[in-house]
Amino acid sequence: MSSADTPTARSAGASYGKKIMHDVFSRFGAKLGLTWIAVIAFVAVFAPFLANSHPLLLSINGEVSSPALSFLTSGDVTVLGVFICAVALYFLRLSFTKNIVVLAVVGGGIALLSIIFVNPPQLTVYEQYRVNESAANYDWVIRAPIPYSPKDYIREQGDTGLEAPLSNEHRSHLMGTEENGADVLSRMIHASRIALAIGFIATGIALFIGVILGGLMGYFSGVVDMIGMRLVEIFEAVPTLFLLLIFVAFFERSLYVMMIIIGVTGWPGYARYVRAEFLRLRQQEFVQAAIVCGLPLRSVLFRHMLPNGMAPILVAASFGVASAILAEATLSFLGLGLVDNPSWGQMLNQSVQSSTFNWWMAAFPGGAIFLTVFAYNLIGESMRDAIDPHLKRKS
Amino acid sequence: MYTYIVRRLLLMIPTLLGITLVVFIVMASAPGGISAQSLVEGQNLEPQAKKALEDYYNKLYGLDSPAPIQYLRWLNNVSPVGFTFDEAGNLDGFSLFKGSDLGKSFRYGRPVTDLIAERVPITALLNIISIPIIYIIAVAIGVRAATQRGQSFDVGSSAMMLGLWSIPTMLTGVLLIGFFASDQYWHWFPTSGLNDRVALDMVFLPHWGSLSDILILIFSVLFATAFFIWMSRWSKPYTRAACFAVIGLLAGFFMADALPEKEQGLITYLMITSLAAALFGAVAYAQYSVLRVFFMGLVGLGIGFIVAFYFQEGPFVRGFLLDRAWHLVLPIICLTYGGFAFLSKLTRTAMLENLLSDYARTAKAKGVSDNDVLWRHVFRNSLLPLITVSASLLPSLLGGSVIVESIFSIDGMGKLAVEAVKGRDRELVLSITLISGLLTLLSYLIADLCYAIADPRVSYE
Amino acid sequence: MLLAVKNLKTYLSSGAEVIQAVDGISFNIKKGETFCLVGESGSGKSITALSIIQLIPKEICHHPAGQIWFDYRHNDGTKEQVNMLDLTGHPQRDIRGARIAMIFQEPMTSLNPVYTIGDQIIEALQLHWPELDYDSAKQRAIEALAQVQISDPEQRVDEYPHRLSGGQRQRVMIAMAMACEPDLLIADEPTTALDVTVQAEILRLMKELQERRGMGILFITHDFGVVAKMAHNVAVMRNGLIVEAGSLQQILRQPKHDYTKELLAALPENMIRTRTESGEGNRQTQATVENKPILVAKDLKVHFPVKKGLWARTASYVKAVDDIDLTICEGEIVGLVGESGCGKTTLGRALLRLIEPTNGTICFAGTNIVPLKRREMQPFRTQMQMIFQDPMSSLNPRLNIATTLTEPMAIHGIGSNQEERLDLARQMLIRVQLSESHLWRYPHEFSGGQRQRIGIARALVLDPKFIVCDEVTSALDVSVQSEILQMLLDLRTERQLSLLFITHDIGVVEYVSDRMLVMNEGKIVEQGLTDDICHTPQEAYTQQLLAAVPRLYG
Repeated sequence: MSSADTPTARSAGASYGKKIMHDVFSRFGAKLGLTWIAVIAFVAVFAPFLANSHPLLLSINGEVSSPALSFLTSGDVTVLGVFICAVALYFLRLSFTKNIVVLAVVGGGIALLSIIFVNPPQLTVYEQYRVNESAANYDWVIRAPIPYSPKDYIREQGDTGLEAPLSNEHRSHLMGTEENGADVLSRMIHASRIALAIGFIATGIALFIGVILGGLMGYFSGVVDMIGMRLVEIFEAVPTLFLLLIFVAFFERSLYVMMIIIGVTGWPGYARYVRAEFLRLRQQEFVQAAIVCGLPLRSVLFRHMLPNGMAPILVAASFGVASAILAEATLSFLGLGLVDNPSWGQMLNQSVQSSTFNWWMAAFPGGAIFLTVFAYNLIGESMRDAIDPHLKRKS
Repeated sequence: MYTYIVRRLLLMIPTLLGITLVVFIVMASAPGGISAQSLVEGQNLEPQAKKALEDYYNKLYGLDSPAPIQYLRWLNNVSPVGFTFDEAGNLDGFSLFKGSDLGKSFRYGRPVTDLIAERVPITALLNIISIPIIYIIAVAIGVRAATQRGQSFDVGSSAMMLGLWSIPTMLTGVLLIGFFASDQYWHWFPTSGLNDRVALDMVFLPHWGSLSDILILIFSVLFATAFFIWMSRWSKPYTRAACFAVIGLLAGFFMADALPEKEQGLITYLMITSLAAALFGAVAYAQYSVLRVFFMGLVGLGIGFIVAFYFQEGPFVRGFLLDRAWHLVLPIICLTYGGFAFLSKLTRTAMLENLLSDYARTAKAKGVSDNDVLWRHVFRNSLLPLITVSASLLPSLLGGSVIVESIFSIDGMGKLAVEAVKGRDRELVLSITLISGLLTLLSYLIADLCYAIADPRVSYE
Repeated sequence: MLLAVKNLKTYLSSGAEVIQAVDGISFNIKKGETFCLVGESGSGKSITALSIIQLIPKEICHHPAGQIWFDYRHNDGTKEQVNMLDLTGHPQRDIRGARIAMIFQEPMTSLNPVYTIGDQIIEALQLHWPELDYDSAKQRAIEALAQVQISDPEQRVDEYPHRLSGGQRQRVMIAMAMACEPDLLIADEPTTALDVTVQAEILRLMKELQERRGMGILFITHDFGVVAKMAHNVAVMRNGLIVEAGSLQQILRQPKHDYTKELLAALPENMIRTRTESGEGNRQTQATVENKPILVAKDLKVHFPVKKGLWARTASYVKAVDDIDLTICEGEIVGLVGESGCGKTTLGRALLRLIEPTNGTICFAGTNIVPLKRREMQPFRTQMQMIFQDPMSSLNPRLNIATTLTEPMAIHGIGSNQEERLDLARQMLIRVQLSESHLWRYPHEFSGGQRQRIGIARALVLDPKFIVCDEVTSALDVSVQSEILQMLLDLRTERQLSLLFITHDIGVVEYVSDRMLVMNEGKIVEQGLTDDICHTPQEAYTQQLLAAVPRLYG
């Protein structure tokens, strides 16, 4: 082996993809966006530890117990497990496809295990902790930073429970409470899960469908293209919101259904991009060279064409996540969203229902939506700026 | 060209068929399907009576037939060419000029055509006013950003547009109503609807009591606007900014003063006055003369009007036109601010590409001035992608008006759509889908034709 | 002196970098004289031209030194020497178009597509003669079009640019430039993008106009043949400096500087001359070639349907390749020449079934490959390869060179493991005069010439017998071109390769090929030994083509 062939030499070449990623995230806007997303992701993953009426640790008569841990649901456990796995993968630096596969396997495994083994008690009485604490029954108590659960409805007798931020002397509600007395900040923290989940999964579904259909249309042309374009037109001709309304109203209101629906209505945009890119790439000389060398179809499509056509799709995907979050918020706002767990859009809806205008009920969830959407848009913008000059070089 | 138009119109038909089919399948496959259940729920009846009522409705609207038959029947009704039925529902014959019958809505019990005919103009009004506003502001910003690439205006406006786009329409609407249209803060704008009930009886144009009032109005408006435009053209940005900031301070003070007693406090006063001063100062400092003059002139106009109204003595009748305009301000704001980002980005990109083009260089080499190169050559070519994109502007605006109409309780197509969907009103949902699909496809066609007119390289043969 | 450039320096700044594009050059142009500025890409010749007319955006360029003195003729007849670098505003715009006019390289994009050509000429006229009203301006525009020999100028004046061919658009550009009767015409590679016959006409036109008007021309080019036709005086540029200047005869026949000598030696014309003089005979004449045909194409047709009408019915066909018979023997280099649009690229791709032939047979080593299915075609793929034209897009930017070279080997089972394949790849890189360390780099780290070598390596890695070279040197500088051509000739001798060399450059074909085919509008007009055709062409089209090629000497 020659000296020019050591493993360091092998990875020294600045891969095109790495170069672009570096470009994108060195921009100020992308950094800002990424920071916010990281914050939200952290909050979403650790929500049960950040905002919980169950104390993290408490000691009664020398016995230490953790109500927070014992009340974790299988969903909480899965999310935590996947997060830890993702962090570990970041340091292992495997290839992109390997990362996805490992994540999927670990995620699926943990989900299965947690469904079987994790069974939180059904009955929860939040009031007991406050009563016990004021009665000094505990030796010591460590509470979550925000000691309220999203469904902890604190109501004085005969009162509405509605409070402005920091207006109550006994309890500090940093962002006030809503009508039933639940703490707004706590609800927002738990709702961040839904925002992130919908953003990623819905966009993921739309990307998947869009890339496959668009790729087929772009590569094969002819009849496949004609039928595909008709499908695209059909889905695009109806304003997305109408389509969403129709889908959501007629099916039940579960989180998974919403994710699938938003995904299924979003694919035409990606399909168009992929198709345009594939049509362009088919004429590129390196693709022709790949065909002349007799490379198999799957290599031509996935190794030569797709990686080079992904750029505008990634940009679109970033904006797509933002619009998926907005779509969910809109649907919830119109009363067609999730009923059970709070989501930011649903909290906005709540703020409209009441007869008085309580600004904290609208401003905070709305602000959260705004910041998250803005973060994704910033990242998308930075991607677009970074990719454009690479595509067009003018001397 | 005509064959192209005909071909496009003919191609619309399968697409519309596809849309309605997809929607119908969704409705039919939903749990509960399409039935009169939703009509009957909520009424306190005994089970038997409920069942009888349900059966009656099912029969009336043909909801008892299997789904494909329902679809075909609806299709037959809608298409102008089809089978005709007589009173008893028996097949009568086949006619080429049957005319299109969109059916009757379950919820309202009225023909769909009437409902839609009532609502479409309102949604159309909102959109027709919004589109030019969006275009003009977005183009102004985009062109400037392209010529100032990489500098503060470009970066700043890009960030601001992106931020505006990210603010959800619902939030804006709720906040605007909460702060500017409610009794709790400022009640400057009406809360809902498109007209006050009183205004429906009013004369169309505004009506002043006495001649002196009109004179005062004209005089104060002209003077204030001219004064501010003159101020906006002062050459030193700092003096401009300082003077205008002082005006802002005063304006903020009056604004804070207008708050109801409950909300007034030292902090509120300070916050509002300083915000207003900062905003006005920033606007006056801006280098982009077009926007600066425009905004300061607008402020002048506003101040002129306010002063005039303050001093008027005689009676004043708002008139239908002004009343409607007053009601439209907040909804239009909600509808337009999100559209700036996309269009201005597009304008900027197109302009940048064309600024670097060979023909712009040729024009410069001929001796054409920079300004003329910008507008006559570069901008003219940059119009082309703008026209293409205008086709998709309509569907997004239709979607946007759904939210706006719901928040502001405006009875337009969007609100109708939401109610139809919530109520599982088969006829209404299908018809709205059809109409919006048709409008969208038509707007695509019109955009393509405009493009063919604007770009001589494109001809549809 | 019409134009006197003294010690001009133009520095371009992009971000943090500063590029010294022009680093102190001086030259003079007199009235009625054609001054040619020659050089390879990146030498700074275009920047010089743009500096004279000040068309480079102020944000990225500055002139640390130098002056450009121009003899400015005012409207009243008085003359004034002005420094172009100091001018701004009205006088600058006045000079542009009316006293100094410029035409550019790409006629396809240099005209505004949304205005008629008449309007664009009228714009120039009305700018400099504001008293002219629309009708008289239009009349002048028609006259200008007639002067550049556009047929039917009264009709053409209302047409849009996209209806005109490249040659016609360049004529319109010239008309626009000449309409205001400038004193100096700057021409930046005006014929590089045109076919050779069109080029000959445009050059002739420019010479005529110059003689009639007595204007000076600054002609920028990389093609010495064009220089030989047009120039009175020549300057050779390299890296922002003029290495040698003199009259045409001095530079062509008695070059003094090494670089000039190198450039001239690398021209195909001169390479042929050196080869014949040294008697090397790299050419395999008919006697030595074994006459074993390796590729035989018969009745080959490639027709593309044109759809019209309401139902998009096929109305007619574009016959890109129309009934071609073609034979290539082992070890032979066959040149395929033609102008743009004649179908030569389509033919090359059809032979490899990148484009499916509509009809006909292609027999490779005896087997007809046209009806073969994908799997049956696989073994033939190793035998028939292609090298592409555009070095910028012929390599997958996402893959490093090692993968690009080893992937085809892995698919066809060459080399029993990855290490062996990497070894083969290394050897191939060395053979194309690159180094082993390049194996792990990515395409964007290489120059155009290097990428083209990698393209050759990729084609060779499967050990083919037949390679189609599709305009492989058209995008390269002349010095790099000569190296690549030499390498191809050596490879042919080493490996008994057969090459189909597609190009529009007749000089290259003369140098490189044994036999030659001339193609026009999908048909082969003439074929035979290269020497025969180049010296005694039989067909009228071939004669026209050969006559149009600008020669260095006589």
